[in-house]
Amino acid sequence: MRIVSEYWREVCTGFSAAWAIARKDILIYYLKPNIIVSGMLFPLFMFLAFAVGRPADPATMVPGLIAITILFSSSSIEPVSIPLERRTKTFERLLSAPISLHMVVLGESMSGFLYACCIALVPLAAGMVLFKAPVSDLPALAAGIVLLSFCFATMGTLFAAYPTESPGDIMSMLNLVRLPLIFVSGVFVPIGEVPFPGQVIAYLSPLTYGNDLVQAGFGKATHFHPLLDIAALCIAIGAFQSLANRLYRTFNE
Amino acid sequence: MHAIEAISLEKRFGTIQALAGISFSVEEGETFGFLGPNGAGKTTTIRILTGTTEPTGGSGRIFGRDVVREKIPARREIGIVHETSNIYTDLSAWENLMFTARLYNVGKRERESRALDLLSVLGLTGRKDDKTKGFSKGMKRRLTIAMGLINKPHLLFLDEPTSGLDVQSNLIIRDVIQRLTREGVTIFLTTHNIEEANILCDRVAIINRGRIAAIDTPERLKKTIQSVQSIEVAFDLPGAVRAEDLAGIDQVTGVRKMGDKVRLITGDPPAVIEGVMDYARRANLRIISINTRGPSLEDVFIRLTGLDEKGGGGTP
Repeated sequence: MRIVSEYWREVCTGFSAAWAIARKDILIYYLKPNIIVSGMLFPLFMFLAFAVGRPADPATMVPGLIAITILFSSSSIEPVSIPLERRTKTFERLLSAPISLHMVVLGESMSGFLYACCIALVPLAAGMVLFKAPVSDLPALAAGIVLLSFCFATMGTLFAAYPTESPGDIMSMLNLVRLPLIFVSGVFVPIGEVPFPGQVIAYLSPLTYGNDLVQAGFGKATHFHPLLDIAALCIAIGAFQSLANRLYRTFNE
Repeated sequence: MHAIEAISLEKRFGTIQALAGISFSVEEGETFGFLGPNGAGKTTTIRILTGTTEPTGGSGRIFGRDVVREKIPARREIGIVHETSNIYTDLSAWENLMFTARLYNVGKRERESRALDLLSVLGLTGRKDDKTKGFSKGMKRRLTIAMGLINKPHLLFLDEPTSGLDVQSNLIIRDVIQRLTREGVTIFLTTHNIEEANILCDRVAIINRGRIAAIDTPERLKKTIQSVQSIEVAFDLPGAVRAEDLAGIDQVTGVRKMGDKVRLITGDPPAVIEGVMDYARRANLRIISINTRGPSLEDVFIRLTGLDEKGGGGTP
């Protein structure tokens, strides 16, 4: 019984510290110009590049816009904040605090997650008001936004494990992954129309499953059952979190 | 129970041996100085003892808790003041303190009252709500120390706390260290300022090239090199003094220029005083002051780290 209560206390203090890390990131980084550019403006311009001049009904593109907005906004905080904190040695403060590395990774990811959840409301509201895109399955949409945000926030934290003090180094690596994902994950081009090698990547891409859930939220035809999408995203989150933990431990040596 | 126990600690980075099996212990309430040239292994030792990195051999304990297997409970007992003033410059002094307190799970009422107390002791009350971006180096250092103390640690790691600071900040920080000592807090202090270690520390360890060269009280360490005594002389025309001539005086084993004075290292001060008088007469110089000095902790440090022979210590 005592062991259980000790463990519970440990978990609670860990989560409380993780929230403190997220809160600190919110105060410091949400309004940094490079975060605004990569988290808000970049997905908007990506969307316009696809949408302008295409004959499709704009309402059909709203789920895709939401998915790429989440992809870019959730993975934009940590690749900036962590290298900057390495430079100022404030990251060392987190690594030497009485919390596990898992909680440091979780805290860092939480700020990206909350940022993306808030930013996703902008295209969602715009889609509903301006393009009359109807939400027909709210739980699927909510699950899609939440899981996709958390998944890519954790991916951002994972990439930020690379031991550099320059955000540009991480952003470059991250874009090598993020940009191709847009083309193969069924965001704007249906997966069936993607060449075979792209389809293989699509099945490994969390964006595919997140986008599928968001599409389900808007009542569109989906590629997988929503429960499969949820399971795939949960597995991706677990894998990113675990790999991030291992990389931070390795690079910290 | 020891506050710190290091048992054959080893750390290897590839082919470089940063720590070669060092052992020492620090008693509760003790102020322990850890001296060594750059690259000697001081920061690596702190990083291992604070659980930030793991040793490749040996073990470390903080109040009996293993720093690898019981990392989190061990860290709850300690406060850390890193070598760099690692504060969040986009946050105010108050926000920095509150953030650190939350990381250490300090309750709201306690963290607020403790933060107010620390800001007052460290002379930062008036700047509590200012963004720390505009703080001077000394103020940032003082805030870093406040952040290290916000969880009321029983053991404080201080890595170069006063390096490069103004006199006021230096005095405030030394005052805080002495106050903590009176309160029974154990302090592990690394410093380049040997005089600071001499004044503040109960015991001192000298580390060089990943090995402990000596551990003892400052006074006992000085006694180990009684042969290194010196005479400090000030002449009326410091520019006219030729170090080579002074080095030629019988029984002088070394000459060091110290501002407008010259320090002559010797094992036989009375004999050298005669020689200095002769030299002054020959060179038409007047002696303004002359003092004999016992070995300083700096002399011990220089002797043990081999800095006098090779012009450098530390890890190759």
